Amino acid sequence: MKKLCGFLFAVSLLFSFKAVAIDSGQAESFIKKVTNEGIEQIVNSDVSMAEKDARFEKLFNEYFDLNYIGKFVLGRYWKTSSEKQRAEFINVYCDFNTKTWSKRFDEFKGKSFNFVGTTPSSSEGQIFVNTTVNMDQGEPAKVVWRVKDDGSLKIVDIIIENVSLAITARNEYTAYIKQAPNGVDDLIKDLKQKSK
Amino acid sequence: MKKICALFLMFSLIACATNPNGTKMKASDEESKLEVYNRAMFNFNYQVDKKVLKPIAKGYKAITTQGIRNRVTNFFNNLEEPASAINNLLQGKFADSGQSVARFAVNTTLGLLGTFDVASGWGLDKKQNSFDATMAKYCVPDGPFFVVPILGPATPRYLVGWGADAIADPMDWALFDKQDEDWAVIATYGSTALKYINKRAENMALLDSLEEGSVDFYATIKSAFLQNRQKFQSICAAPVEDSASAASYDFDFEDEED
Repeated sequence: MKKLCGFLFAVSLLFSFKAVAIDSGQAESFIKKVTNEGIEQIVNSDVSMAEKDARFEKLFNEYFDLNYIGKFVLGRYWKTSSEKQRAEFINVYCDFNTKTWSKRFDEFKGKSFNFVGTTPSSSEGQIFVNTTVNMDQGEPAKVVWRVKDDGSLKIVDIIIENVSLAITARNEYTAYIKQAPNGVDDLIKDLKQKSK
Repeated sequence: MKKICALFLMFSLIACATNPNGTKMKASDEESKLEVYNRAMFNFNYQVDKKVLKPIAKGYKAITTQGIRNRVTNFFNNLEEPASAINNLLQGKFADSGQSVARFAVNTTLGLLGTFDVASGWGLDKKQNSFDATMAKYCVPDGPFFVVPILGPATPRYLVGWGADAIADPMDWALFDKQDEDWAVIATYGSTALKYINKRAENMALLDSLEEGSVDFYATIKSAFLQNRQKFQSICAAPVEDSASAASYDFDFEDEED
């Protein structure tokens, strides 16, 4: 019995270490890969806007954990939403982000990211990869990537000049739902409208 | 005149921040009342921006080149150096304070009234600081978020800081004893107008994309404004070198409460 407990303890330790440890070098290489792909194959490339959107959607689905982010941004309303609402929200949230970000990423045309180290996160298996982008005027912009490792590396948040996109979306969506007569359904409807 | 306005605003704000009856209202009541006011004022500002400021800024952008706008931005940034120097000094950052003074001297002369940032080329990087940060350093509470007519998002500490820094504006001091002359009045108001039009023009793409990507623009701006201020939290009574040790944007993704 004692042996079994010892074995289980060792196994649980192994798993907990797997969750806690996230290699800063690997996380940085991962973000380098994402930003290179984003800038070289999408922003700087001479392809049609439709092709850019398609490539961006692929990049977004491949490297971002949209389910994880989607659950977070609904805040307390995630718990009270039905399975159908959750699935619909995640779906429309992905479409909406692909659309807004493929446009926003265009602002990085001709620019490159400088990698300036990593910062640990208080969350298990997560780390911040710090980058700066030289702007045409003034100080370089500070862009931080929050990376999660649960088997594969995924981006869960981007922080631009101290402003987290996940927090901003959560604050915005929960404020919206609080005021909307039909709550989450109204939000889904509005996001669908804006994604067209 | 600008100084008097700034001072008036500072005192009226301090008065606003305290409850005149001394009675305690429920925090949630106060918050929801403030939220109603904030949304109404935000909508007012949004309309003013849409109908007045944004069209002017668009026109300004059409008749100026990026190069000209960069010169204008540099000119106004240079006028903020004395405030940075004072605040660096107040926060015990003596070397940074000296650097702000040196930058102001170099850029005002060799940089043609600050329009060119010669000092950065010499390795004298900008050491921007504000009275808002000085108050944060000495742990003055930030107070609630509220929207100021025309000026936009603020907190009491932010606004007091803004007013105090405006007092250190060297252009106001240069024109201080010439307020009876028409050209000085035109220069004062003209420069203030140019400063905000230029700022609006330079932020056009960012604000447009923020608005396009949001379903509740007020909530987005409020969230972004307050998150940006989180950086001040860690500097309260902390040694200067420790100020960047913890990421202000770290949070628990598993947290379900908003």
